[in-house]
Amino acid sequence: MSVRHHVSAPGDMHPTGGGEPKPALAFNKLCKGFDGIPVLREITARFMPGTVNVLAGENGAGKSTLFKIISGQLAPDSGILAVKGRPVLVYDPRHALGLGISIIPQELLPIPDMKVWQNLLVGRERTRSFGFLRRREMVEQARKSLEDFNLDIDPEMPMRRLGVAATQMIEIIKATSRDSDFVLMDEPSSSLSSRETEELFRAIRMLRARGACILYTSHRMEEIEQISDTVSIMRDGVFIRQAPTRSLTERQIIADMVGRDIEDLFPGRTVSARREPVLEVRDFRVAGYAARTAFTVHAGEILGLGGLVGAGRSELLEALFGLRKAEGQVRLDGKPLARASPAESIRRGIAFVPEDRKLAGVLTSQSILDNVTLPHLGAFTGAGGFIDNAARRARSLDVLKRTRTKYARLGQVVAHLSGGNQQKIALARWLVTGTPRLLILDEPTRGIDVGARSEIYRLIHDLAETGVAVLLASSDMPELINLSHRILVMRGGAIAGELPRDAVDQESILRLAMGKTRDAA
Amino acid sequence: MRPDRATLSPAELGPAASRVDVKALLLRYALVLVLFVFVGVLGVSNASFFTLSNFNVVLLQVSTNALLATGATYVILTGGIDLSVGSVVGLSGVVAAMVAQRDGVPWTVAAVASGIAAGGAIGLLNGLLVAVARVPAFVATLGTMTIALGMAYVLSDGQPISGLSDAFLAVSDQLYGFPVPVLLMVTVVLASWLLLSRTRLGLHIYATGGNPQAARVAGVDLRGIRLTVYTFGGLLAGLAGVVLASRATAGIATTGTGYELNAIAAAVIGGISLMGGRGSIFGTVFGFMIIGVLDNGLNILNVSPFYQLIIKGAIIIGAVFIDSTLNRKDD
Repeated sequence: MSVRHHVSAPGDMHPTGGGEPKPALAFNKLCKGFDGIPVLREITARFMPGTVNVLAGENGAGKSTLFKIISGQLAPDSGILAVKGRPVLVYDPRHALGLGISIIPQELLPIPDMKVWQNLLVGRERTRSFGFLRRREMVEQARKSLEDFNLDIDPEMPMRRLGVAATQMIEIIKATSRDSDFVLMDEPSSSLSSRETEELFRAIRMLRARGACILYTSHRMEEIEQISDTVSIMRDGVFIRQAPTRSLTERQIIADMVGRDIEDLFPGRTVSARREPVLEVRDFRVAGYAARTAFTVHAGEILGLGGLVGAGRSELLEALFGLRKAEGQVRLDGKPLARASPAESIRRGIAFVPEDRKLAGVLTSQSILDNVTLPHLGAFTGAGGFIDNAARRARSLDVLKRTRTKYARLGQVVAHLSGGNQQKIALARWLVTGTPRLLILDEPTRGIDVGARSEIYRLIHDLAETGVAVLLASSDMPELINLSHRILVMRGGAIAGELPRDAVDQESILRLAMGKTRDAA
Repeated sequence: MRPDRATLSPAELGPAASRVDVKALLLRYALVLVLFVFVGVLGVSNASFFTLSNFNVVLLQVSTNALLATGATYVILTGGIDLSVGSVVGLSGVVAAMVAQRDGVPWTVAAVASGIAAGGAIGLLNGLLVAVARVPAFVATLGTMTIALGMAYVLSDGQPISGLSDAFLAVSDQLYGFPVPVLLMVTVVLASWLLLSRTRLGLHIYATGGNPQAARVAGVDLRGIRLTVYTFGGLLAGLAGVVLASRATAGIATTGTGYELNAIAAAVIGGISLMGGRGSIFGTVFGFMIIGVLDNGLNILNVSPFYQLIIKGAIIIGAVFIDSTLNRKDD
């Protein structure tokens, strides 16, 4: 197994001697910038066949850009990209595919109106003459790939019926079943539960055994240790270090990524005083689910919602905010929350940061200013119906500072900010007109780098300390365990159990989430 | 060292509602029902409706829109739109008529070919503008719509081009007892069905409209697909123009004005999503048949053409309303 670690120092582009296999992929002084702002600076590195290489780095470090260059979606400004020892100008995705490079992009790319098998096989159809499809063979091929991954999904099922995790698995199958020599995986596990992640790892190991070169980005430390042969750390568009995984400690990796030591990712937990109840949910049923739920969130309390993907957490949160039909009683500060609609919820002081940042959290093509002040435009509207821009600018500057959002100017479009900063904006907008009574967070740090994450944790923590009730759904176990005062674990739309803060560990959460009793486990 | 091999079901992987919904089913076929009721009432109240000759009249009447709507289907499936086809009908009719003033089979073949080629050329121009120059389809084809009309006026000097050869007039005549335009319609629809549902090109067309970024990453040649569908649309409009000129015994620049809207309406009534990637050619067939039967029936019932417009508009909105209601997620 030691043969795998053919890592040489960055900068060394020459073969180091006879017998040494050629690098599968090599960069020499690769540069790329957008609008004059450098994103990649003289990246020089090499990756061997049959290895799994993690690219670690905060969001904005340049990992996704590097992947886009390798997969032909972007052209580098300068420098050389060598595939299988030959310098190439891969200038579009089709050429990259031709070279055996496939990618699992960070943004999932389903074609919702097509069937699962069509999604899996588009671009590599089996055809007869005149381009007629060998349809039955293709469906069979798709069925086999799905079975290989232990997915009980009918290939004839429309893609739009699949949830996020299943969609992610489809992307993984697409990329890994191509017999590619290179597989680029940009956060492939970000929405997977641990069981699905195991399937992913199994596929990765198979690819590695076949001699493929795998590049992988992840924010989960334990994954890096579990799956990778080498770690390459990027920071601000520069390769800081490339080394065998075994030679690095978690602390070293994090320190290299952020450029400083992060003492503690999680702020100390506030003491839950169990003050007055803020949100009381009774006999609550979300449309489409049979189960009824009841729970209470108190002022200053962070109530965690755990469970596997598809357990109905997001649906419950959306229903509470008024985005989804539901029945039952909901009281906020003792008064019934009738006729729930988002507008009514906002008026009553409920803030919601949804799971899908790009789709629902922020308006990516709008400015930071508009994004931050959108839910509160009424508060800045004067007598004539005109918006008081000076006032909303002032308030925006204030909350952006408070959330430590990094940006150039208020008029900047949100699309070009990193995920972490976009998420801070999704949060900041709820602080514009004072603090909310109830803050609902759905996967608040999904796909967000360590630095931004610790800042978001601090912010959640501080808000709870001022008496805000927080409802936090997360698949990230350490996050759930370290932030929450209590955890409700959901399964099949129902609350499977409650864990007080002293009795919480990953195992007990998983046990409840998967429906196992203590004895059976 | 293998992990737990229990399979993951879709239910575990995410919310998925899969139950038979009677209401949705009724709604989906609401338009078909309306059509049947309408046809039934017509048949009972009017003796001339349920006749073979009237059926042939309807088919002949829809044949032009059928060609245009099929072209529109290709374009709309990729998420595009083509507003130029009405003008292209006029232009290609004029071009064909200019050549068809000379008698003889070779000149007739040349007339048909040049008319179709004129349509194909405008279609290719649309494709180049949309796929290569990246002009939004609505704007690009709005421009070529005006250009094509202008070219037709210039070529015809604003006058109908008549005096067409008998051979050319025979192009829209009958073959084995069937009107040629109807045969063309059937051929084009069947070929399009095969192409869209059974071939690689068809799959790539759906993928391009369904999620261009995903299609691109999967190696689909977006530019080529877009060039192809706009060219198809232009060729079909050219064919429609030639047939119409033959039927009308003249090439007239304004023949097809407004036809593009009927074509788009047929596709949309048939459930082709304007967002791209969803719908089938049979939906389009249903769409242009509804429009055709409606026109014919309302004429038989002596409904004023003014009211016919209002009814047609309401049908278009109703069809799309049903479609969007059915496709809305639970909320």
